[in-house]
Amino acid sequence: MASLSYASAIKIAAREMRSSRGKFFFVIMSVAIGVAALTGVRGFSSSFRGALLTRARSIMAGDLAARMFQQVTPEQQKGLDQIAAEGVEITPVTELLSMASSPKTLDPLLVSLKAVDPNKYPFYGKVDLEPADRLQSQLGDDSVVVADDLLIRLHLKVGDQLTVGSKIFRIASVVTNEPDRLSGNFAAGPRVLISRKGLADSGLLAPGSHSGQRYLFKVPAPRNGAPISEKAVADLKLRLEKLLPEAQVTDYRETNPALTQGLDRATSLLSLMSLVALVLGAIGVAMAMRAHLQQRLDTIAIMKSLGARSGQIIKIYVLQTLLLGVAGGLLGVALGTGVQLAFPYLLAKFINVPTEVHLQLRTILTGLGAGVLTTLLFTLPPLLDIRGVRPILIFRRAVEDNDDPFVTAIVRKITKNYAQIGAGFLILIGLAAIATTLSDSATVGKVFSLGLVVVLAVLLAASAAVLASLRFFLSRTRLHLPSSLRHGLANLYRPGNPSSALLAAVGMGVMQIMTVYLVQQAVVSELHLASAPDLPNVFLIDITTAEIDGVSTLLTAQPGVTVAPELLPVVTSRIIAINGLPASEVKLTNFPRRMLQSINLTWSATPPPGTKLAAGKWWSSESIAPQVAVAKRQADRLGVKVGSTITFAAQDQQIVATVAALTEADGQHAFSRAEFVLPQPVLAGLPVVWYGGVHVDPAKVELLQRALYKAYPTVTVINVAAALETVRNVVIQITYVIQFLSAFSIFAGIVILASSIAGTRYRRIREVVVMKTLGATRSRIATVFSIEFAVLGLVAGLVGVFFANLIARILLHRLDIVYHVQWLWTFAALAGTAGLTVITGWAASHRILGQKPLEVLREE
Amino acid sequence: MIVVEGLRKSIRNGPRTVDILKGIDFSVPKGEFVAIMGASGSGKSTLLGLLAGLDTPSAGNVHLNGVAISYLAEDKLAQVRGKTIGFVFQSYQLIPTLTALENVLLPHELNSDSKEASAGLARSRDLLTSVGLGDRLDHYPVQLSGGEQQRVALARAFVLRPPIVLADEPTGNLDSTNGAHVLELLLHLNRTEGTTLVLVTHDPVLATYANRRIVLRDGLVVADEVNPNPAGLAESAAVAI
Repeated sequence: MASLSYASAIKIAAREMRSSRGKFFFVIMSVAIGVAALTGVRGFSSSFRGALLTRARSIMAGDLAARMFQQVTPEQQKGLDQIAAEGVEITPVTELLSMASSPKTLDPLLVSLKAVDPNKYPFYGKVDLEPADRLQSQLGDDSVVVADDLLIRLHLKVGDQLTVGSKIFRIASVVTNEPDRLSGNFAAGPRVLISRKGLADSGLLAPGSHSGQRYLFKVPAPRNGAPISEKAVADLKLRLEKLLPEAQVTDYRETNPALTQGLDRATSLLSLMSLVALVLGAIGVAMAMRAHLQQRLDTIAIMKSLGARSGQIIKIYVLQTLLLGVAGGLLGVALGTGVQLAFPYLLAKFINVPTEVHLQLRTILTGLGAGVLTTLLFTLPPLLDIRGVRPILIFRRAVEDNDDPFVTAIVRKITKNYAQIGAGFLILIGLAAIATTLSDSATVGKVFSLGLVVVLAVLLAASAAVLASLRFFLSRTRLHLPSSLRHGLANLYRPGNPSSALLAAVGMGVMQIMTVYLVQQAVVSELHLASAPDLPNVFLIDITTAEIDGVSTLLTAQPGVTVAPELLPVVTSRIIAINGLPASEVKLTNFPRRMLQSINLTWSATPPPGTKLAAGKWWSSESIAPQVAVAKRQADRLGVKVGSTITFAAQDQQIVATVAALTEADGQHAFSRAEFVLPQPVLAGLPVVWYGGVHVDPAKVELLQRALYKAYPTVTVINVAAALETVRNVVIQITYVIQFLSAFSIFAGIVILASSIAGTRYRRIREVVVMKTLGATRSRIATVFSIEFAVLGLVAGLVGVFFANLIARILLHRLDIVYHVQWLWTFAALAGTAGLTVITGWAASHRILGQKPLEVLREE
Repeated sequence: MIVVEGLRKSIRNGPRTVDILKGIDFSVPKGEFVAIMGASGSGKSTLLGLLAGLDTPSAGNVHLNGVAISYLAEDKLAQVRGKTIGFVFQSYQLIPTLTALENVLLPHELNSDSKEASAGLARSRDLLTSVGLGDRLDHYPVQLSGGEQQRVALARAFVLRPPIVLADEPTGNLDSTNGAHVLELLLHLNRTEGTTLVLVTHDPVLATYANRRIVLRDGLVVADEVNPNPAGLAESAAVAI
């Protein structure tokens, strides 16, 4: 049997395309827009994320930190040296409390010393000095840089001397911001930054001294300039946890949950947008190819009469589809790369992501591959219809109707269309596979794929129901309706009208676009909350119970303070047993055993601000039973879960508390530092010290410090305004990017939908010609089409919007974000869909109305 | 060569059934030229379509060269069509996006090995030259007149040297001059290639060229007459293939 060679098939396919350039432009653009959105969104979000994560790293001043309370053993040092030899940068940071004094007055002051290597520290971010200068230039072996709080208390100025331990240092500068202030200890006493040699010379590091050692690690950046991968950080973290079992190893993501949560949600949302863009592009292709093949029916029938087998014809059109898919994919990748490069410039006003964008080959190839694959998948059903084209079509265009009962008709339709049904399943499986592969979020991938399946099934059923109802309605009311309305509605179910396909395509398109909009709205609202400008940016330490009211009044009256302060009571205790096992025997995971001796407890009747429950339940406000809510991070390290018991010892009291809940804090509130919360009655009678958090206008922090020192000299002020501003800015930037990319995806989706609707215009040409020759006026024809378009748009919009709300609700629930029905936008989407369908239908068809019938027929 | 047994064709349209052919029986030996005649609606084109395997009968069978084709699977039918039948349609049915040469070449591309490509190309060129369109090879159907399009269709029908040619009112859309010329070409090709020719027409003059006339009325054969003296070709129309 002679087979059609690929060379011949490509030749025939290319010849066909030669004469239909205009039409194929739609197909190529559909694929291109889908792939452009996919590569542009993914590529940009990857670069953006990388840039943001670099900013996020500044809050830890490194990728990882390992906190220890003892010196490393020789084996551990060997392990660290091995890690350093692989390119990881390591620098130690030693923190301890000490006394410092002015040599003139000798009045001692408890200070919080931090010894760093200024040539390495910080790995990310920078230490701000006043006057501005590099830390390396100011911090030498004989000098220190201090917080202005110390200058106030000791009545000193820059250039004066300060005694620390047994050595006298020169105060070289004032430190106004340490990038990792938030992730360090909130210890009492003003900050003094000292060099490692300076600390050694001071004699303070004697054996037995209570110093905390933090090692900061920086993972080497990839050679190709791409951002450091999260996997590299995670791998190093695992390695360090094994090497240093007594150390508390944290990565930069844990230092600010609000920021990382914001980034995670943005990732999920951007994954969703990529998938939506791809599916919309594929829908556009399917619609365009369907319209194209409909017009090719005569050609296909002729070819079959000349001896072409269905397989040969399908081969020709599959190759044609492939050519279109690759052309569209390549164009899409080029557009997407352009988008990726353009985004930073477009968004420069709102975000300051560095404009170097790393083009990743993987992203490009993934986009191209996904584009071609979805094009092929979605074109399968119309291609398989070729098998059913009978050559007799040339002689007779009659559509054979039948009177089978409903079930028999369905069964007949199913048995006749096994291949199409199989193709449908293949599409859904293929999409699900692509969704899961492309999606950085398994949640999004699963929900999206499932949502598509359900929506498609419902849309097809809904369209069949609507069309059947229309038919029934018209058969009963035929003569009573205005003829334009009759014709418009009848157009929807006449044989060969692509109404079902268009209803499904427009419905799916609307559903996806609306889902993107609803989800991004909710995510952005949540992020705005997390970046609210009145969150605490100055923390107060060591407020006594006697001072608390006075401090609170002073803060409220202070200029620059607009929101009531957050006040956190702290009871010092230690853990002596977990689940009945003595502390010395408890198995801890990367939790320095020494830290069990210094545990801060607090109380609250309700979950504190910025805290949510990860497991368990909070107690009722009247509860007096000894229960505790533990921060999940600490719970994992201590090996406790809901129902476990922890025995605390405070003063001479022992409290055996049952773990009632595990919590996660957003890091934005004073209470975020409270890792063990109990009901107040349980801690009654124990000595309490208070921590406070207040939002102060950064320019007025110094005023606050002076006022507080004057009235309450023992209260320490820790200014983290700059660090929190970093967090806030990052979160705000995320919201801008999300909104921008959403708008881009939505716009791309609308363009694709419009082209799908426009593609149906070819069916109308002959109709218009006949109607005109029979005497129909243009306005009459316009009315008929408008009714057809509007009803189509409304039905598709209704189903699409309903499912968009449903899927958004499910997705947001999985992302742990509150969902609210957006009624205004829902109605706007409905009206918009009907409007889009009418306008697009007209934009594509209006030319036909104005032409002479013969002109149109000649072109045909 | 062609055997038709008890052929019936009905179509349903809603509650109505329309019987187009109500039981047709005849056979056509190799090399014969048969004209099938009848008024509009008599079922001529439907019969021709069934002979070509373009449609499936409601009952009965068609045998071509001993092979029963009516209930063959579509792909098998396509093979039979490609190798055995050349079809000339009333409305030419050229593919509008292909040039004259490409249209004639198409059956060759669909039914022959790629090794024979250059032979197919040469044959297509020769055929188009033989029907007087040697200088219009690269023209599209829209650039050709009706008569010229039908000549392209003729060339296409003969490109694979089929043993059977079926023609459905080949001159129906042409003026008398063009119609006569197309008929002459068809008859000449029929005689020189030795094909079996079945031609559907309502034109009694055209039927005089046939060896045999089968007349249909209301879906049945009402006459099957041999023509002992078919009309001849004009000398000037003789062309070499």
